Amino acid sequence: MKTRIYRNPVGVSKYTGLALISPFIIGAVLFIIYPFIASFITGFTSDGISVENFRNIISDGRIKASAAVTLKYTIILVPLKLAVSLGVAFLLNMELKGIGIYRTAFYIPSILGANLAVIIMWQYLFTSGGLVNQLLEKAGLFPVSWYGDPDAALFIIVLLRLWEFGSAMVIFLAALRDIPRELYDAAKVDGCGRLRCFFSVTIPQIKNIIFINLILQTIAAMQEFSAPYMITNGGPLGSTRTVGMLIYEEMFIYGDEGTANAVSWLLFVFIAAVIFLMYRLTGISGRKQK
Amino acid sequence: MKNIFYKAATLCCVLALSSCTSRKNVKVTPPDGTLDKCSLRFSWWGGDDRHEATLKAVKLWNNRHPEIRIVPEYGGWDGWTEKVAAQVKSGTEPDVMQINYDWIITLSPDGSGFYDLEKLNSFLDLSYFDKNIVSFGRVKGKMNAAAVSLSGRSFFYNSRVYDSLGADYPQTWSDLTALGSSFGSADMYPIDLDIQSGGTAWYLAVVYMQQKTGREFITDDGQLGFTYEDICSALRFYKELEDSHVIRTVRSRTDEDGNAALYQSSEFISGRVAGVLEWGSAIGKYESVLPEGVLEAGPLLSDENGNCSGWMIKPSLMYAISGHTEHPDEAAAFMDFLLNDEECAELLGTTRGIPASSKAETALEKKGCISGLAKKSTDILNAADTVTISPYMELPRMKSFYNAAIESVSYGTADIDEAAKQMYDSINEYLEKIRK
Repeated sequence: MKTRIYRNPVGVSKYTGLALISPFIIGAVLFIIYPFIASFITGFTSDGISVENFRNIISDGRIKASAAVTLKYTIILVPLKLAVSLGVAFLLNMELKGIGIYRTAFYIPSILGANLAVIIMWQYLFTSGGLVNQLLEKAGLFPVSWYGDPDAALFIIVLLRLWEFGSAMVIFLAALRDIPRELYDAAKVDGCGRLRCFFSVTIPQIKNIIFINLILQTIAAMQEFSAPYMITNGGPLGSTRTVGMLIYEEMFIYGDEGTANAVSWLLFVFIAAVIFLMYRLTGISGRKQK
Repeated sequence: MKNIFYKAATLCCVLALSSCTSRKNVKVTPPDGTLDKCSLRFSWWGGDDRHEATLKAVKLWNNRHPEIRIVPEYGGWDGWTEKVAAQVKSGTEPDVMQINYDWIITLSPDGSGFYDLEKLNSFLDLSYFDKNIVSFGRVKGKMNAAAVSLSGRSFFYNSRVYDSLGADYPQTWSDLTALGSSFGSADMYPIDLDIQSGGTAWYLAVVYMQQKTGREFITDDGQLGFTYEDICSALRFYKELEDSHVIRTVRSRTDEDGNAALYQSSEFISGRVAGVLEWGSAIGKYESVLPEGVLEAGPLLSDENGNCSGWMIKPSLMYAISGHTEHPDEAAAFMDFLLNDEECAELLGTTRGIPASSKAETALEKKGCISGLAKKSTDILNAADTVTISPYMELPRMKSFYNAAIESVSYGTADIDEAAKQMYDSINEYLEKIRK
């Protein structure tokens, strides 16, 4: 059989492709690679090149406390967010009238982020005289010290991010729509109920997507900054001071670049280690299975 | 392709290394004694009243000097420190800046972060300033900044609430503590103290102890003047205010206001919290959320013998010129206009407090523009035996030590002795580090 050989159009040099992707490359060099290297060097700079910053971090109680807060936040938020986004995606995968409106409505919170309007709304909801406490009192329950209690304060941050489940939901929804209908039909013929179908057909079919969402949400949770910064400013008693907030404070409030960059690198290494562990423990490699 | 990748990676490493090592080598443009055509960036923070007045002043300058165009950059206080710190570190700060008193230490620890104003005296006249006031801007022998005004914290009260409860404004510390019972029975509070950006909780405790002991909390040269026992007593005083219902606990304050500033809180606007300890130059934002004339300045608290010492003043704001501006003469001329020009002073009014420049102050007095709570607060402080706040006291890291101690005492997670020990050690360790 004769093989057709594709050639470059006449006059197109081998650098054309490079030129076409150059905007991305320039952007990546300026805003990702350069800061990445500069941050690494600055992390090792404290009156000359040294490991002083890293040594200080290890002995600093605040950093240990922030790491504990970040881990607690991640462990609470990520499973909740995956469960809620998968559940809602499952519901939104049904053929209902006006389903597009529901999908949009559920996605909107995730594009709001932790902006000023959301922060004001959270204040109206969760301050001592806020709507949530009023409802609790009407229901005959005790009001909760949402902002003042260290555990409750972390919870309202988790709640904000949980409310913004849209991006994880969209990924799940796309995966659910890709599952062939025949598999469900075959399962029904074999006598499977809805619950059995969900665990024996849906979950195995989207397990790679669950894993991708798990990684994305874990990374986002470990890098959390804006929600605690805007809602609680790290308080009370440092109970919402995540590592992201600590880096910001060291860099911009206390002006300690060395410590801020050293903590950033430790966070980077820790996240990389967690993701690596997840790959090893789940056995999902991300490669196409033959 | 691989070759290009390696070259790009090498270039990045070289750039990163050079940026990390060359940051300190700032090129200083010497003054040439002439005003040339140029464009200058001028930045400040503040509320709407300050923005409007300053924009009018900039317009006046641009009309007078069309060859030196001023580009204004302004915004609110929140995040402004971080913004300017990032600009200074990256060498992209404006030519002329409104700065805070402690920034001369954080942004110019060796005196080279800002332009030495004494080299610019052909265009900048500081002879209208008291010598002591001029000295506030000096760092390691270099004149880094000029004070715009002097200010101190004093009490301001919601007169309507005090009248309705038949309460007088407190004169002494024991008067203040006694107010807790009458306000407490109405579920109200006579004053508010915070541990957020204001940090008034520790501030008042320091005033109390300075008055009691005659010692300064932090000296001008960055030494801790208080003993461990003084810090214990200051924290005990704070706790007593909470326990006697003079102020809200940190927990109830956080619950009620969330992360909002006091002047935005319904508790203050409704009058449930009926007093505030605030800078005279910043009281406008509290005044504007209450009906006109309701907020009144109260006396500084003294002991039973009438000793009113220990209250503090500082340059409320300063102007500085970037250490590597390319137009030092023009920047100095513009700064002189902001500080001393009579017409400019009339436009700016008391939006930055009562001007420290005698020329600007006289111009305002002639026009009858010096009035209101800022003036009353200044008069009250002028009549007292005040001390100047050490710039070290307001450093952000120092504030974090004060706030951590107050918070742990308020929540009961540490006893007073323990919190005081932690604060005493942290302050000493940090001051020793930055004095090097």
